Amino acid sequence: MPTLDVEKIKKEVIDSQLWRSVFRGGAWKDTPRDRAGHIIGNVWLHLHPVKIRPRALKWAYTWGMGGISFALYLLLTLTGVALMFYYRPTIGLAYRDIKDLEFAVTLGVFLRNAHRWAAQAMVVAVIAHMVRVFLTGAYKKPREFNWAIGVLLLTLTLFLSFTGYLLPWDQLAIWAVTVGTNMAGATPVLGNEGPLGALMGMRINNDVRFTLLGGTMVGENTLLRFYVMHCVAVPLVVGILLILHFWRIRKDSFSAAPYVANEEKVDVWPHLVKREYIGAAGTTLLIMIWSILQNAPLEAIANPNVTTNPSKAPWYFVGLQELLVYFDPWIAGVVMPGLIIVGLVAIPYIDTNPKGVGYYAWKERPFANTLFMLGVVMWFALIFIGYALRGPNYAWYWPWESWYMLKAAPAATWSVFGPKGVGAYSMLLGIPLMGAVSAAWLFLPKLIEKELDGKKMMGAFLGLVAVLAAAGMAMGKMGATEGAFLLFFLGASFYYGFVLPQRHIRTLDWPRYLVTMVLVISTMSVLLKMCARLTFNIKYVLTIPSISMNF
Amino acid sequence: MSDTNPTPVPNPAPPATAPKPAAKPAALSRGDFLWAGWGMLAAFFAASAAAGARFMFPNVIYEPSQKFNAGQASGYDLGVSTKWLNEQRVWIVRTPSGFYAMWARCTHLGCTPNWWGDQNRFKCPCHGSNYTLGGDVIAGPAPMPLWRAKVELAPTGDLIVDKAVLENKPGKRELAPYFVDYASA
Repeated sequence: MPTLDVEKIKKEVIDSQLWRSVFRGGAWKDTPRDRAGHIIGNVWLHLHPVKIRPRALKWAYTWGMGGISFALYLLLTLTGVALMFYYRPTIGLAYRDIKDLEFAVTLGVFLRNAHRWAAQAMVVAVIAHMVRVFLTGAYKKPREFNWAIGVLLLTLTLFLSFTGYLLPWDQLAIWAVTVGTNMAGATPVLGNEGPLGALMGMRINNDVRFTLLGGTMVGENTLLRFYVMHCVAVPLVVGILLILHFWRIRKDSFSAAPYVANEEKVDVWPHLVKREYIGAAGTTLLIMIWSILQNAPLEAIANPNVTTNPSKAPWYFVGLQELLVYFDPWIAGVVMPGLIIVGLVAIPYIDTNPKGVGYYAWKERPFANTLFMLGVVMWFALIFIGYALRGPNYAWYWPWESWYMLKAAPAATWSVFGPKGVGAYSMLLGIPLMGAVSAAWLFLPKLIEKELDGKKMMGAFLGLVAVLAAAGMAMGKMGATEGAFLLFFLGASFYYGFVLPQRHIRTLDWPRYLVTMVLVISTMSVLLKMCARLTFNIKYVLTIPSISMNF
Repeated sequence: MSDTNPTPVPNPAPPATAPKPAAKPAALSRGDFLWAGWGMLAAFFAASAAAGARFMFPNVIYEPSQKFNAGQASGYDLGVSTKWLNEQRVWIVRTPSGFYAMWARCTHLGCTPNWWGDQNRFKCPCHGSNYTLGGDVIAGPAPMPLWRAKVELAPTGDLIVDKAVLENKPGKRELAPYFVDYASA
């Protein structure tokens, strides 16, 4: 009985002229030379080095999140191109085409689901990648610039999601984009509703919002613009930045971890390439299963006149939506996101701590890790509040409260330095007062040259707040919930905004110290403004209505 | 052809006093030329960027008319009518002395609030802004009152609303053309 000699067939195929014309190199003998040649001789693989430190292969070290983000980007490109065959970006057709994809096109619903879920997974993966890179100090010299490119890629990932969800032309689409573009309209100077905007001649038909929309309202031009940005312009920019990102990883070397004795590099083929394939395959499998089990949401067809109640952004923007409850749009929608992006880019340039490169270092980098993780936790806490605790009319509903119960009308809000607060011209008092408080907060931690006792300070501060809260409750101005809010928010702001900087960064040089403190104080201002609203019903701390400037 | 060596010519050392061949003073040195070249390139890119930005501002937009006929004034009861909300995004409000038309666009970020008659408030579903019947903000993040649209009473008895002409300042918004006197029957 003739047996099938697999090895012989394999050899004959690989040695054939056809195979050798496609794949370079001689017979595969799995020597180190072969493995190196495989990386060097393959256009897709040659961005890899030939050999790599074993440290850079460990899942516990890399989380595989960068690779998985890229795998998702490829998956999104594939499914996105497929969807384009059935989708026409016009108001009359867009929603119908999505419905057709769902009900009339073979595998249409599966591809749409995969596209939507992969997009959300990519947001998670990119954020996780950033957190990992931060915690292992992998942004430090000489990798500062690659971290900046990474921040841009994160921003563009979110922007791709934002432009993508207008396309189905459902209620989520139109209202998310209405709100998003109106935020652009609140940009200082460049937006018609922003501070100084009207003064600079901005109108509804010549400001930055108008260019985004291609009109004065979300309409036909907007859909086309977002379609082009989503399918062509932004993916192109992302692709270019990705090449730069990968190239810098290669040039700056894969792992920053300290060398161990007798460490020997291993071959990238198969060790790293294998892991990349496993990561990509696992991700694809997960997305496929998820897409079979769970359909992507599609609300009613867009109605430009009536908003769903409540209307919520996709989960990754709900934190921003919640922030908009507390701050004026120009702060929550423009300044804060801008500060987050600029602040993230600035991190490698203000963090002078040489320790903790290439490994988790909670003890060696207490300030950097604590503040960064505080920012991440706050972002997700805001998402949780917006997603889980907001109901009809965007009122606060605890999870056990029914949405069918109409909440009592919220009490009237007031502004401290404004017409309904201290008085019509109180801004003349409020501006210098706010300036003085901010300046004191900004400079004091460094000006006090010796380290203060954190525990004593916290004790004294919390004691003072507790006394004030008790007094407030005794006078009937405040309930127990408000008292607890006051203690929590003020305590947290004092600890993270004063005690920690005083202990850890007062030795930084002035420029780095000031940049860091501006970022810290901006973060704390979120806690303080939430406290002001939730405890005292304060709308603005300071308002200058004549130039639409509200704090 | 003579192959004799040409008479050697003594190297004519230029006489120290001889005037230089009229060396024209260069109109443009090499360095200046480069600066001008780079400058023009930069100007080209700047102009291209400006032109590209201008390209993104459409000159003609095709958007629906902001003016509509809200029907017979006598057909409205006292209070807030949501009759035109779905089509025109406007509430027609009838008071004992007349009419005003409120544009149903939250001044915060542009969602459409809902009218809750039992609480006498407009409430926005996006960030929770609350407005009074007159459009003043009482809670939530909205920075200014709701806009009222121009409204006129046609000789036919119809209310003509124009959302392109808006006003929200107390004192102005209660007067014509943002208010139509219409005595209750």
